Amino acid sequence: MTKSLCGSCLCGWDIPVRPRAVFISRQTGKACPERAKRVEGSARPPRVLLVLAIVLLPCLAHAYAGPGAGFAVLSSFWAIFVAFLYSFYALATWPFRQLFRFLRRRNAYGKAKFKRAVILGFDGMDPELADRFMNEGKLPNLAKLRGKGTFTKLRTTFPAISPVAWSTFMTGVNPGKHNIYDFLARDTSNYLPFLSSAEIKGPKRHIKIGKYSIPFGKTEIKAMRKGTPFWHWLGKAGIFSSVIRVPVTFPPEKFPGVLLSGMCVPDLKGSQGTFCLCTTRSSNDKFREGGVRVPVERQNGVCHSYIPGPDSPLAEKAGSEMRVNFEVRPDAALKQARIAVGSEKFTLKVGEYSEWIPVEFKAGLGFTAHGICRFFLKEVAPEVEVYVSPVNIDPGHPDLPISHPVTYSIYLAKLYGPYATLGLAEDTWALNEHVLDDDAFLAQCYSNHEDRERMLFDALEKTKQGLCTCVFDTTDRVQHMFWRYLEENHPAARDVPRDRRPNVIPELYQRMDRLIGRVMEQIDEDTLLLIISDHGFKSFARCMNLNAWLHQNGYLALKGGKTESGDWFEDVDWSRTRAYTMGLNGLYLNIKGREKQGIVDPADAEALKREIQQKLDGLKDPASGAVGVTGVFITGNVYRGPYTENAPDLLVGYGAGYRASWDSVMGKVTGQVFEDNVKAWSGDHCIDPRLVPGVLFSSHKFVEDKPHIADVAPTILSLFGLALPSHFDGKAWNLAS
Amino acid sequence: MTILGPVPALAAIKLFLFASPLAIVVVLSIVIGLLMVVLFGYTSNQKAIKIAKDQLKAHLLAVRLFQDQLHVVVGSYGRILRGTGRYLKLAFMPLLYVIIPITLLIVQLDRYLGSTGIQTNAPFLLTVRLDTADALNEATLELPPEISMTAPAVHVPAEREIVWRLAASKEGAYEIKVAAAGQNVTKTVRVSSDLARLSLVRLRGHFWERMLTSAEPAVPETSPVESIAVNYPDRNIRLGYEMNWIWLFFILSMIAGFIFKELLGIQV
Repeated sequence: MTKSLCGSCLCGWDIPVRPRAVFISRQTGKACPERAKRVEGSARPPRVLLVLAIVLLPCLAHAYAGPGAGFAVLSSFWAIFVAFLYSFYALATWPFRQLFRFLRRRNAYGKAKFKRAVILGFDGMDPELADRFMNEGKLPNLAKLRGKGTFTKLRTTFPAISPVAWSTFMTGVNPGKHNIYDFLARDTSNYLPFLSSAEIKGPKRHIKIGKYSIPFGKTEIKAMRKGTPFWHWLGKAGIFSSVIRVPVTFPPEKFPGVLLSGMCVPDLKGSQGTFCLCTTRSSNDKFREGGVRVPVERQNGVCHSYIPGPDSPLAEKAGSEMRVNFEVRPDAALKQARIAVGSEKFTLKVGEYSEWIPVEFKAGLGFTAHGICRFFLKEVAPEVEVYVSPVNIDPGHPDLPISHPVTYSIYLAKLYGPYATLGLAEDTWALNEHVLDDDAFLAQCYSNHEDRERMLFDALEKTKQGLCTCVFDTTDRVQHMFWRYLEENHPAARDVPRDRRPNVIPELYQRMDRLIGRVMEQIDEDTLLLIISDHGFKSFARCMNLNAWLHQNGYLALKGGKTESGDWFEDVDWSRTRAYTMGLNGLYLNIKGREKQGIVDPADAEALKREIQQKLDGLKDPASGAVGVTGVFITGNVYRGPYTENAPDLLVGYGAGYRASWDSVMGKVTGQVFEDNVKAWSGDHCIDPRLVPGVLFSSHKFVEDKPHIADVAPTILSLFGLALPSHFDGKAWNLAS
Repeated sequence: MTILGPVPALAAIKLFLFASPLAIVVVLSIVIGLLMVVLFGYTSNQKAIKIAKDQLKAHLLAVRLFQDQLHVVVGSYGRILRGTGRYLKLAFMPLLYVIIPITLLIVQLDRYLGSTGIQTNAPFLLTVRLDTADALNEATLELPPEISMTAPAVHVPAEREIVWRLAASKEGAYEIKVAAAGQNVTKTVRVSSDLARLSLVRLRGHFWERMLTSAEPAVPETSPVESIAVNYPDRNIRLGYEMNWIWLFFILSMIAGFIFKELLGIQV
């Protein structure tokens, strides 16, 4: 017998075969055969790269590779592990959940005529333009739907304004039941406007520590829109919904499905979109709408500026704005600039947008507001000008809930990168103020549009059964801003020669048609495809200042013999004012007991409404003789429901080509009633709703003469075999046999 | 030396040698965690890694968001696997850059921290491997006066090895001379309770093995001696329970790395 030695404990000598004592592993205390082998002359280590040797060497060497490899391995295996747990949970509980649903509701799809409904909302798509372009052969996919299914006008709400119409679309009721009458509503205590769709209030309690006032509690976001969206009814019946960017869905409400909020989501400042023009040009001019001018300071060829953010939550007084500084290094020769903001550094050429850049506004004590914005380099010489988009709520790190569940916005941001979250994401104000030109605005619109398309196709893939609905705003924004090129003699484009007018709107419709074509490839006969718009479009060539008309006709009085007022009724003498207007179509009486300084006796209100109606209806524009107002509607006759008291007293229906003037919308009285509209915002729909119906296209034929946007909700519920709630104002359409 | 200058460098080395192994491991873990993150940041495609990680997270969220949609759950799981592969591919090249210098550094550190020196009067083994079993009978050992043989040599012909059990009477670094086939080869043995640079084995050839385990010059190619090994006891660090320094280093440097990557905004 060969004697050997126990190398691990030196206990004795009589071991038949010697363990490879010298090569005992330090980790396990046991012999390490691999290592011993390599010391043997017969087993040479491979002469390969050092790296491979390290990787292949056992025991300690694996730990040597440790921290670096550990990161990769831990991160990836963590993902797999969590995914496994989720998947296991989902798969293991799926039969039970299905059984539970079956027992509770029977089969959700038992009476459904379709397994899926896909609703594409093209905000502002006009039936007359669609028909014209189809007839010209420009919209083959829409023409296919027209031939096979349904194409008709879709009656809209009074007034024909997006938040009103989309609220009716989702709730199936008239505005008297959902409480949205305009973007703005008025505060009767001070005649000032507030956002009609949501109210955001900071925490009520604050603890004061030194210079800080620390908020204690949660920010309250109160939905002002009433009524129940029809996807809630579907959810209750076990039908899943994916809802993307439908207007007036902020704050998002809980329901069995996923939802990304749309129009009315504020920017990080809490406004509906405030852009920023950072410039070395000195100017005291303020932008009339939606933007601020920020100075750029030059030092040794480097420019310094900042992005204005929300007020600090820790400041005692309002108005202590948080800022994010940034630096621009212009290169005039290359017509570009290097921009540094936070940890992000990027180069832009003149006329180029950045990607979405994350920005953090730090208030101190760990309070940080997370936003994203895009930079657009306008000029590097002789002056430096940078446009910064409104700071959107960061969808990957939302400080306010913009989706249901909250993780849905994060999911989309992780999947496709950051995207616009602001309700009115296309910066129409910047184009109106000539801060962006046509091309820059269009690039912004279509960039947002492409993000939306990606979201839609993801939702289509995820929602094989149930409801999938997505609203595209591009149609609305582009028509608002480019209608001037569609018309022969629009005041906003008179100086642009005919041959230099871009073909923006026909191209927009063609783009939407191509999108429909791609959607049609994704769906089968068991899917209902609806394409709807909330209203159509008409020219906005002439402005009408209704406050001026009220003033000239003795319904509105100004103080001290003034002939014009400031914004929001500055210099209005309420003690002599019987009627006033703000917003797009609403006209209010100054009623005693309702308005703070009301003078109209409620008993006289109806007579006054009729008087104004008679005088205003059919009002002609003296410049052309055209009818500027084609209808005035007493809302008591139009609305029914518990919230009618919040409605304006009268709705003014402007004629085609007319709309409330920019000043009138902001509660300003001017000297002239009618004037040209020379802004880029040259098309509109806030007119007589009878003149701007929306569109209805459908993959299946419906038998319905005059469909209304309120009918969509009952129709979808009906097609899924659900009973209709009794409060619905719309009625379900019947499928052709 | 060039960075620190001779006096501070000496002080640093002394501090290193006299500090407790636990303190050394903690400091090293933090420093190496930081270095590794910075190196990774410079050598990786940060944007692509961010996208790959974000997409992984998105697919994880999809499983949760659409848990009633069986096809989404299954599809997302597949995408998670594919995404993990993509992420590992992106992390592989920068990891190579990180692993090579750090591995070499850690190998050197292991000379100090991996084993303890031989204790005075405690027996230890000296194992010599020769080219042929026939040469075993000719091998002899020449010991310094402070080291003595405590048992006769054991021959293991099957392994071509001869093993001596020795003991040292006094602390110090000693040269043990092995004579075989007319040639002498020495092996350093450190008898000490302090931190010291230890070489577990002296090898002939075996370049990669020497890089990783030996701290002595190679045995001459003409020598019949293939290796001379000393079984220094393992050094364990007591932290609740005993563990090898490398595992503690692994855990602490990972934690440090995760903290630094957040602070420096580096995608790992």
